[in-house]
Amino acid sequence: MRINLSLIIGIILVLIIIAVWVLSFVYMPYPPNEMNISNRFLKPGIDSEHILGTDNFGRDILSRIMYGSRNVLLVGIVSVTLGTMIGILLGALAAMLKHYSDKIIMRIMDGLMAFPGILLAMMLVTVLEKGIQGSIAAISIFMVPVFSRLVYSMILDTENLLYIKAAKSYGSSKGQIFFRHYIPAMLPRLITQFSSSIGSAVMIETSLSFLGLGIQPPFASWGLMLSESRQFFMGYPYLAVAPGIAIIITVLGFNLIGDGLNDILIDREGSDE
Amino acid sequence: MNKTVELKNLHIKAGDNTLVNKTSLTIEEGEIFGLVGESGSGKTLTAKAIIDLLSEGLSYRADEIITAGKNMLTASREEKREHIGKNIGYIPQNTVFYLHPMIKIKNQIGDGYIHHMNKTRKEALEKAETLLSKVGFKSPRTVLNYYPWQLSGGMRQRCNIAMALMNDPKLIIADEPTTALDTTVQRQVMELFRTINEEMKLSILLISHDLGLVKNYSHSLGVMYAGQIVESGYTNTVFSNPRHPYTRLLIKIIPSLKIKKSQPLTEIPGFVKDKGRDGDGCLFYNRCPQAMDICKKYAAEHIDDKMDHYYRCNLE
Amino acid sequence: MLSYVLDRFKSSIVVLLVVSIITFFVLMIIPGNPAQLILGTDATPEAIAELHAAMGLDRPMYQQYLSWLLNLFKLDMGTSYVYGESVTALIARSIPVTFSISTFAMAIAVFIAFLFGMTSAIKKNSVIDYFSRSIMQLGAAIPSFWIGMVFIVYFGVKLKVLPVSGFVPIERNLAGFIRSIFLPSLVLAIGEVGTLLRIIRSSMLDSLKQDYMDMARVKGLSAGKTYIKYALRGALTAPLTIMGMQFAKLAGGTVVVETIFALPGIGRLVLTAVEHRDIVLLQGLVMFITSTVVFITLIVDILVMFLNPRIKSFQEGE
Repeated sequence: MRINLSLIIGIILVLIIIAVWVLSFVYMPYPPNEMNISNRFLKPGIDSEHILGTDNFGRDILSRIMYGSRNVLLVGIVSVTLGTMIGILLGALAAMLKHYSDKIIMRIMDGLMAFPGILLAMMLVTVLEKGIQGSIAAISIFMVPVFSRLVYSMILDTENLLYIKAAKSYGSSKGQIFFRHYIPAMLPRLITQFSSSIGSAVMIETSLSFLGLGIQPPFASWGLMLSESRQFFMGYPYLAVAPGIAIIITVLGFNLIGDGLNDILIDREGSDE
Repeated sequence: MNKTVELKNLHIKAGDNTLVNKTSLTIEEGEIFGLVGESGSGKTLTAKAIIDLLSEGLSYRADEIITAGKNMLTASREEKREHIGKNIGYIPQNTVFYLHPMIKIKNQIGDGYIHHMNKTRKEALEKAETLLSKVGFKSPRTVLNYYPWQLSGGMRQRCNIAMALMNDPKLIIADEPTTALDTTVQRQVMELFRTINEEMKLSILLISHDLGLVKNYSHSLGVMYAGQIVESGYTNTVFSNPRHPYTRLLIKIIPSLKIKKSQPLTEIPGFVKDKGRDGDGCLFYNRCPQAMDICKKYAAEHIDDKMDHYYRCNLE
Repeated sequence: MLSYVLDRFKSSIVVLLVVSIITFFVLMIIPGNPAQLILGTDATPEAIAELHAAMGLDRPMYQQYLSWLLNLFKLDMGTSYVYGESVTALIARSIPVTFSISTFAMAIAVFIAFLFGMTSAIKKNSVIDYFSRSIMQLGAAIPSFWIGMVFIVYFGVKLKVLPVSGFVPIERNLAGFIRSIFLPSLVLAIGEVGTLLRIIRSSMLDSLKQDYMDMARVKGLSAGKTYIKYALRGALTAPLTIMGMQFAKLAGGTVVVETIFALPGIGRLVLTAVEHRDIVLLQGLVMFITSTVVFITLIVDILVMFLNPRIKSFQEGE
């Protein structure tokens, strides 16, 4: 297998974030929400008590970043997983059952896709409560059409291949065909899309938090930290650096993994150099 | 006489693998030179080397490549580009993909002409019309307005020919010009080449695997096997006195109407090697009915000066 | 060809219908009484009931939906709770802002993406190529709000060359207009340029491998002609489609940027509507935005079909 730079860097970045996440359950330098007004606006420094400094309430930034990784990963991974599963289900139903369930489901998917991501998320957050559940629900629903369309078209493409027709002819049930044949064939593209989607999910989640529609204060989330830092940005620019970099690392990491996987698993079939 | 092409000792490699080895040929002015061989023998590669059209993955070297008067080994990229565009017409093997599918014929056929001969679009279209009727189109104006995929294979080929003639080139390279065509159209196209050659006195490098075609239409020929020229000379000479076993077998293979029904068609057993072409031995060794031990390591070169007949073989 | 256009048009209408149903019914699920929300907490129950009836909120759902839909055709999207103005008017006022930054952002993204994408493909694996590919990746990962803040501080405050907020309409002052949209458009462009660059590069690479490029070489055409007339021409289908999608996405996705730069555009309206649960405003906004998206997608699909003459006549039933 060719060494793929994207994949390697992506994995490293994601591992960094996962390490931070794991660490957040084991040891955080300070309680993330603990305020200490006398210590506010401490600049970051290697030898200081607060490596990444403190914010306007004196809360330790490093701890808040660590805590923030929890909901970013939670929302990102859970929502994409939900979206994937529902999407696969709907796409498969549409492709395998045909008749008008096919058209209806796909039309609804088309409709959903017409909503720009943030907009859909915001709409759903209006309906549900602000906070984690709202974000997860909103982003899951956003992910469903992508996966259902992918599954739908892949099944339609492979349907006519000989081995599927063979399976049907000797009496495999639809379910069997689905799990034993379609899923393995679709796995590479699904995995690639899954990884890239986590990147998008994180982006949307942090945007929602930034706008105040995600996790609510005083809890720490990277988007929220950035938004809170806005008013003090002039005097204390370092407040925005840590959360910004955390977001970039996470999104970049998942996107690179998605790209790397794409190069290895998919583009391979295409190019016959 | 002036030589249109002088090629001495061409080697082409893809990475470490030699594809074309020690190949030389000469094309006189006004001559039709047939380059014959099976697929994979290196004919197209040799032709592309002459006009610097080899793809990036290939490397080549030669003692001499002089094309239409210009030394291709010493010229700069821009010089080569200008020279080839102006003086050479290239008619590629398959007709479909060489014309841009999204551009109408009228917008592609003349751009080389406009650029090299400094003409206006109007002049280019006029000339294109003239050439298109010369190649046999009854209504050139209609053809000009078509997209390539709206034309049949034969029509596209004729467009290619017209396009190649736009700059009144000194040399035309026709790569398997008849392969994709049906027999009646084949005949038309070849007669066209002959007419152009006689009228305009331009040289043609005719690449084909069809020895019969080459026999009927070329003045000289070269027979390539596994990346080497094994025999070359005037067509008449080679056909009346073929010296290389491969050539002899090829000639025998040409189906003719004269063979009896019960006579099996001749074939040469085995395959062309695509590796290990860089030796001094004869590459036809393992398929040659008259092979000798010495042929594995060495193949003598003979040149008959008077008749310009060359062949590489240890047989006398 | 005409049948293709009609077909696409029909499916667009269907999509819009689906969208309208989703929009309407999803937002109706909101707990709470809209009439109460408007009147506030110390309104009397009778007043609330009266307003409730007056707003038609006691009719069955589907009737409410239908009357809403019909009003849409009259371009009447109701009255916003928060602003008390007609939603249509609010949207109309905000369109110029969002449109300006979206368009300018696309222009920047297209310029950079074509420039670097084409060069990257032509000079594959050169320094420029690696540089471009890194831009691609980074651009997509940088949160717009973060880079927006950085720009504001750097250009707006430290260097003081560009305004940090506010929108200057083009009629008032051209220079002011450009200065006020420059940073927000740049931020938006950074988010989009990566994807576009990638698709341009890959389409160009495919096109450069085609046989017609050999003919262009043999004909000895200039670099410009070779790469633009031949290579690019064969590489436009995918990029154009993506550009359309991106423009449509921008139309609805400017919330964050408008918030940071304090621009009174559609995105800002959406945020306000969401924060205050102004259903009427939100419904109108969502319908407007998604209609724009569907419309732009339709136009792009038709344009792409025109571009590729083979498909066009295939549709004609050659």
